[in-house]
Amino acid sequence: MEEEGKIKIEQRFPNWSDLLKPITEKDFKKGIYHYPARKSDWEGAPLPPVYTDFNPLEKDWHLPEGWKETFLSKMDEFRKKYRELFVWMDICVRCGACADKCHYYLGTGDPKNMPVARAELLRSIYRRYFTWQGKIFGKWAGARDLTEDVIKELYYYLHQCSQCRRCSVFCPYGIDTATIVWIGRELLTHIGIGHRFSLISIAACLRSGNHLGLSPMGMAGSLESAAEDIKEITGVDIEVPINKKGVDILFVAPSGDYFATPHWFTLMGYLMFFHELEERYGITYTWSTLAGEGGNFGTFYTYKCAQDMNGKIYKEAKRLGVKWIIGGECGHMWRDKHQFMATMHDIPDNLEEPVNPITGTYFENAKSTKMIHILEFAADLIKHNKIKLDKSRNNHWKVTMHDPCNMARGMGFFEEPRYVVRSVCNYFYEMPEHAIREKTYCCGSGAGNLADEVMDLRMRGGMPRAMAIRYVHRLYGVNYLATICAIDRAAFTALLKYWKLQPPVMHGGIFELVGNALILSDEDKERELDLRGEPLLKEEEVKEAVEEVVTAPTKEYVCELCGAVFTDLDECCEHAEKEHKIAKAACDMVCGEKR
Amino acid sequence: MIGYLFVGLFYIAILIFVVGVLVRIFNWARAPVPLNICTPLGQQKSLDWLPRARFDSPYTKWETFVRMLGEVFLFRSLWKNTKYYIETQRQTATKWLWLFAIAFHWSLLIILLRHIRFFTSPIPDWILLLQSLDGILEVGRPELHMVTILVTNLTILLGLFGLLGRRIVGAKERAISLPSDWLALILIIATVGSGIIMRYFWAVDIEGVKRFAIGIVTFNPVLPPLDLFFLTHLTLVSALLIYFPFSKLVHAAGILFSPTRNLPNNPRAVRYINPWNPPYTGISWEEYYEMYKDQLDEIAERGYKVGGGG
Repeated sequence: MEEEGKIKIEQRFPNWSDLLKPITEKDFKKGIYHYPARKSDWEGAPLPPVYTDFNPLEKDWHLPEGWKETFLSKMDEFRKKYRELFVWMDICVRCGACADKCHYYLGTGDPKNMPVARAELLRSIYRRYFTWQGKIFGKWAGARDLTEDVIKELYYYLHQCSQCRRCSVFCPYGIDTATIVWIGRELLTHIGIGHRFSLISIAACLRSGNHLGLSPMGMAGSLESAAEDIKEITGVDIEVPINKKGVDILFVAPSGDYFATPHWFTLMGYLMFFHELEERYGITYTWSTLAGEGGNFGTFYTYKCAQDMNGKIYKEAKRLGVKWIIGGECGHMWRDKHQFMATMHDIPDNLEEPVNPITGTYFENAKSTKMIHILEFAADLIKHNKIKLDKSRNNHWKVTMHDPCNMARGMGFFEEPRYVVRSVCNYFYEMPEHAIREKTYCCGSGAGNLADEVMDLRMRGGMPRAMAIRYVHRLYGVNYLATICAIDRAAFTALLKYWKLQPPVMHGGIFELVGNALILSDEDKERELDLRGEPLLKEEEVKEAVEEVVTAPTKEYVCELCGAVFTDLDECCEHAEKEHKIAKAACDMVCGEKR
Repeated sequence: MIGYLFVGLFYIAILIFVVGVLVRIFNWARAPVPLNICTPLGQQKSLDWLPRARFDSPYTKWETFVRMLGEVFLFRSLWKNTKYYIETQRQTATKWLWLFAIAFHWSLLIILLRHIRFFTSPIPDWILLLQSLDGILEVGRPELHMVTILVTNLTILLGLFGLLGRRIVGAKERAISLPSDWLALILIIATVGSGIIMRYFWAVDIEGVKRFAIGIVTFNPVLPPLDLFFLTHLTLVSALLIYFPFSKLVHAAGILFSPTRNLPNNPRAVRYINPWNPPYTGISWEEYYEMYKDQLDEIAERGYKVGGGG
């Protein structure tokens, strides 16, 4: 990887016939290609019994005998099982609307990372073997033979997609590369080709209940330490129920929250929130060690993996006899819970349609699945003034919000988190409109790309997101990136550092902010520290800090293109947009501080 | 003699078009959609007081229907298009693709509707009205000679050459354009071109064309006028009809089957059924308990809780 904060993006535009030629091990780049699966993980997951032991950089991948026939027969099977695959293989017109929407394409400049080209990887095989045009006209119909080289290319590029679905927003037919890649990855498993990072977590989750492979006491110990940390900061003793039967709610969070930083502070927020509900309203909840994982790496690997992983949540909901389920802050998890879980499993009959016992709000939108998001729940409570909040405890944070891809484009979850953030913080700023909500950019590490070996890919893929953060950081002094996804919280640690944003821009979950602001009813001393153990700003300091951000009169900004001077960066950006057609997201390229 | 050939060709083309498209649709419709994979592009329905995006994140069938209308008739997804300039990190909204696409498709629709006048007698009033609305543009010197220019003739050329130009000028678009993409565009341009030539530059035996067209729809075939441009036009139209079901042009039917757009965003409220859902084979509590017996018993001994100052 090149020097921090700088990458060179080499764009290439081959002609159509070169684009059909596969990229093989000779051209695989370090930092971009993934490691193959280990045998033990393969066997721990519900995959076909054909493990292939290969080295991506070697010529011979030792594909199992008859791999070609297997691959093609599975492809035929899948197009008859997935209408979306069948239709999308046929109807793409290659208009190119998706091309520059992919963060990996923007970051790498590799033409095969255009979503249309990624789908063409499979489409070219589909044409060759399942349409007469491809059989007769071959290459001239955009078809190509299935060779070992093509398999190598599939492995290389299907794992350069984070299944963020951003391309699907702009496609006139809604062609969703995430689904195509999902099916493509499953196709590869049928000839024994596996992905290490995904399968480590999947196998661990199927064995122990969570992606990290924590044992029940490991998880309990983590929760206990979080309770101790809360005691230190607030002076309140918090009891954390685990595997407890007969309570109202089963709470499921992504396992990253149990020990990673900055996930940890979000975990503390959850515990304080539920503690307050029990103290004040007698609502009981429990954690489950078996259903100790909300995230689901199967949702981007294979159908069967996804199914075996989310099934245990309903199983535990039944065993523990809860009324309904609340889920924590996690991205892929909510694509899974919103779109997959209730289809893959029968819903236990002991579950009731979720009604908030405190406010009486009926969550009609979750009446079948019986699972709601903790922020939907919290937003409802805050709206009805049922929890006490002190916004000023978050005055040291200037917050912006990153919409996780799967929450945004898998669920349509935009207003609930924003309402909560605005309720618990005084300073909230949005990133530019092309980088938030349904057009949100990926952190660059989703769908199994959080692996360390693909750091180059991650930093490149995260570039558009990092640029948007840099923009609000420079414009408003944003120093906190709120995100409701565990993968994000892990990914931004590296990404923000690489792009020289952290420090000062820290990141964490929204429930960390809620935890800071929440006034516990059994809390009797003034809080001096936030959940991170950093001192809270005193009232005078708050005023000063605010004034510093709002006024900042001494600085001057100059437009490098025409030399015009402004007292405000915002004005300079507006000028650049109006006069030089430079998008606001990129205004830092032309507007600099005057020296 | 040659005339019979064209009658036969046209009938065969229509047959291939109809049967081909129906077979396509039948095959797609036969495959199930296992999961509700709607792409919501706006706020979901959750709490009543939160403003939600009805038609970007539809909750009911009716809202989904309106969303589909927006896609099919207004190309709303293309309307959202942006362009990213890698060198400078600039990012702006761009409407060119939308403009060309909508200009082409709407013009084509109106032109096809106008063609009904050849196949009907008497011509329905609304077709005549459409024809006269389309012809509001008149050029020439009033005292000498006036030519009615049909607006759709201009817009369809704008659309087609815009779409062609993008593929020539845009580096990304050029790289992803397959020969079939060029073929489709050139075929349509040639068809439209031959039609336009007949309208403005080449006198065709309109009466003969009409007799031929009526003969086709009443299954009483009449031989077509042996006119160079008319026969070219007829051949190209037949070629397009034959090509349609076997090419990307079936996107016209396919978009209706795209599950990211035609499903409502309500999978948590209405259970979505997958007909081939396999049985659960993951871990059960009993297996799990067997594996971690000591630890789970310890949690039980502690009263199913940790912390609490105890």
